[in-house]
Amino acid sequence: MTATSAEALPAARDTTDAPRRWAAPLWVGALLIVLAFLVIYPLLMLVFGALSDSNPIVDGFGSFRPSAKHFLDVLANENVHLAFFNALAACGGGTVLAVVIGLAFSWIVVRTNTPFKGFIAGASMIPLFVPPLVAGVAWGILGSPKTGLLNTMLKWAGIDFRFDFYSMSGLIIVFGIYYAPYVYMFTASALRNMDPSLEEASEVSGASAFTTLFTVTFPLIAPAILAGSLLSFVVMLGIYGVPAALGAPANISVLTTYIFKLTAWSPPLYNTAAAVAILLMVVTAILVWAQQKVLSGKSYATVAGKAFRPRALNLGSWRWFTFGLALVYLFVVVVLPTLALIIAAFRKFLFFKDFNALFDWSQYSWVHFNSVFDNPLTMLSIWNTLKVGVITAVAGGALAFAIGYTVNRTTVSGRRSIDLLATLPVAIPGLVVGVAYLWAWIGLPGGLYGTIWILALAFVARFMPDTVKALSTSFLQIHKELEEAAWICGRGLLGTIRTIVLPLARPGVVASMTLLFVLAIRELGSSLFLYTSDTTVMAVLLLDYYEGGNTGKTAAFSLVQTAILGVLLGLTTWISRETTQNTRFN
Amino acid sequence: MTSALLIEDLVKQFATGKPAVDGVSFDVPAGEIVVLLGPSGCGKTTTLRCVAGLEHPTGGRISIGDRVVSEPQRGLLVSPRERDIGMVFQSYAVWPHMTVRQNVAYPLKHRRKNGGGDINTKVNETLELVGLGDYAERPVTSLSGGQMQRVALARSLVYRPQLLLLDEPLSNLDAKLRIRLRDELRRILKQTGMTGLYVTHDQSEAVVLGDRIGVMKDGKLLQMAPPAEIYNRPADSFVANFTGASNILLGKVLARNGDKATIDLGAAGRIEAWTPQPLAVGDKARVALRAENVRLGEKGPANAFSGRVVERRYQGMQTVYDVELGGQRLEALELGTAARHNDGEIPLTLPPDQCWAYRDEGATSVE
Repeated sequence: MTATSAEALPAARDTTDAPRRWAAPLWVGALLIVLAFLVIYPLLMLVFGALSDSNPIVDGFGSFRPSAKHFLDVLANENVHLAFFNALAACGGGTVLAVVIGLAFSWIVVRTNTPFKGFIAGASMIPLFVPPLVAGVAWGILGSPKTGLLNTMLKWAGIDFRFDFYSMSGLIIVFGIYYAPYVYMFTASALRNMDPSLEEASEVSGASAFTTLFTVTFPLIAPAILAGSLLSFVVMLGIYGVPAALGAPANISVLTTYIFKLTAWSPPLYNTAAAVAILLMVVTAILVWAQQKVLSGKSYATVAGKAFRPRALNLGSWRWFTFGLALVYLFVVVVLPTLALIIAAFRKFLFFKDFNALFDWSQYSWVHFNSVFDNPLTMLSIWNTLKVGVITAVAGGALAFAIGYTVNRTTVSGRRSIDLLATLPVAIPGLVVGVAYLWAWIGLPGGLYGTIWILALAFVARFMPDTVKALSTSFLQIHKELEEAAWICGRGLLGTIRTIVLPLARPGVVASMTLLFVLAIRELGSSLFLYTSDTTVMAVLLLDYYEGGNTGKTAAFSLVQTAILGVLLGLTTWISRETTQNTRFN
Repeated sequence: MTSALLIEDLVKQFATGKPAVDGVSFDVPAGEIVVLLGPSGCGKTTTLRCVAGLEHPTGGRISIGDRVVSEPQRGLLVSPRERDIGMVFQSYAVWPHMTVRQNVAYPLKHRRKNGGGDINTKVNETLELVGLGDYAERPVTSLSGGQMQRVALARSLVYRPQLLLLDEPLSNLDAKLRIRLRDELRRILKQTGMTGLYVTHDQSEAVVLGDRIGVMKDGKLLQMAPPAEIYNRPADSFVANFTGASNILLGKVLARNGDKATIDLGAAGRIEAWTPQPLAVGDKARVALRAENVRLGEKGPANAFSGRVVERRYQGMQTVYDVELGGQRLEALELGTAARHNDGEIPLTLPPDQCWAYRDEGATSVE
């Protein structure tokens, strides 16, 4: 696709040659059509679904009677209100917690002499890689009001306190601790880029370290704090796994779980689901817009010029306290849930009559793993997941390369629209992409629905903004003159891309494809509406096990999935690093 | 008069490499401005930051007023906020989330002892002093670079600290503004009677602002003297070269008499020169002199030579000549808009007082 039409791009300036003159508009047109097909068509179908009450499967599209009434009815529905406010409460509370944790960690890592800072910085990013459903399942095992492992231990210890993670506060805590890294990423880089003399000036002026922190440091990185909290809020809002695992037992619906519930009814309420999905999308879009606004505003914490020597506050013996805080966080986020999953997966029954029963080895076995692998769907889902991941990475990577190059490296008209269309999905939660693709393809006979491709296309569309952004960064690092030099040497555009741009951008391209692959294999939200029994993927099958109510099997498959993700992640990181290392030119 | 700042044998050793500051000692009497001058990486900024307490010295002693603020051997270290100092940073470091007034009032609000008085009055007075009286309520982000630097200066002056530290405060400004602000800075500092330690790599700043200039290189203080002495009696061939004596003639010491030496330049003949160093007969020597001090077309009573103009470069306000002198090269500078000399043989005089001989220790030059 990149090949033939791109050949003529620079010739767009060469007005003497008629066929070449047409190449640029044709190329832009082709890209726009592809993007429209991936993004605009499904969204239109989603709006269509929300505005009608005809079932696409039963009625076909012939009997379309558009009416705003249906949409307004849905918005006026009490259950929708409840789900909406539950979502705001869970994500709002989670964001507050995430800001506290994220800010504390970024300060500890960037601005103090806490020991093993590198380790803390690396380890505190682990929650980003934990699939939300796995986290939810693990905390269900730990904190369910009756059988939760934490509560069992409290009972042994004779403490009259019980955790209940099947609740709004449980949801908030799990959201908060798992999505703190989003805040951390923003605040840590803001702190790192901040001119240390801004703080030194305060110190010389006579202010204490504490006063400096609250009158200079935090106000200066306020934009980063706001951007990070908006991002984490948006991410939480689109998450299905955590509220499905922790909210459902207590009958707490948030927007995402409510949408899925609507499609799981019999008969499925696709129209209502589309309407609620649009509500979710609008809220997300507003927040994303606000976040972009904050980020593009004057970020005054950074002063260009000289490289700063990082300034580490000497905490004295308090540094062991901050180190302890970091350890507690890691224990809660990584060690505890992992232990819970391991115990649940290997115990025949998740019941302990006393403390010693925990070490009764006769109670441990591979029985849950056996039953997981006895199910033919298990291997099928793993195989499907890999297939979808590879297709998404290759197709999405190629498309993102074409878009990134066209937007960043050419002056063709229409590239702004391409950029806009490619960035649009940033404001669409995965679950909404799923519902939109459902509406786009379910009514078309012989179409994509029921194949692996619909999943892959949905993922390509969903992750397009991240991929294009990652690739654009590496394009921007290649100086335009490197390309121009090749043109001067008589290379055509295609030849230049192949011999100059592609080799130089290779680390970026590999990294983006890796990112796409990882994102695709752990995606649950959009898969929920698009899989069939033949095309089930790991994330969906895990949800199946969980809803089947067998904790042991769920935990076992969670471990299997986490192990596979870990191996693939390690492998792709390794490949990515190898490529980068072989592409040093000086 | 007691010293406002006394530095004795200061050493700062970072985790790796050579010491950044290696045994520096000097003092700044109250009301005087001392400028530390040197190329980047010479240790001048590290010295300043040690005085501020932002960097922790590994050896020596620093006293501000009569109080020792840093003496690592005794484990003594006073925090920056308790040193009663003001500091102006290279990047201004004005807080972008505050207005001009909030920036300047900040130290008055957060310092422990403030000598009483109304905060607003003090802020207004100081803003008037730096010429920002009408800008008090503006957000600092709306100011130009030069105005931001005035805010930074006002912020460090407002509480009348015992000692003012300035870390290349003008280097982020454009050339014209730098000259204007430099002269104004001197006026303000003298008007307030501040004691100052000023760090720069710019000679013209150093000469205008400094009551004394200390030239630093590789963590060592090479010479500390009033500007005229630095320019006319450089103690070291690096100081000579750094302050603009770019001509070097190589030779051998023939005779020595007090601080005068006679040096054999080979084919060019003999030259009389002043020397601050213990040169002995037979030593290899390098004679440094400024291009401005070469007198073309003159036959003086001493150090008269005959050279040949190889190239002439007319630069408008001045003309530079490349002169060959007995196989060695010399640059001569003639001020004025007329270039009076042509290519070819020419008599020239190198005034003995302006020729300085140093021991030849191989190449020493400033990039």
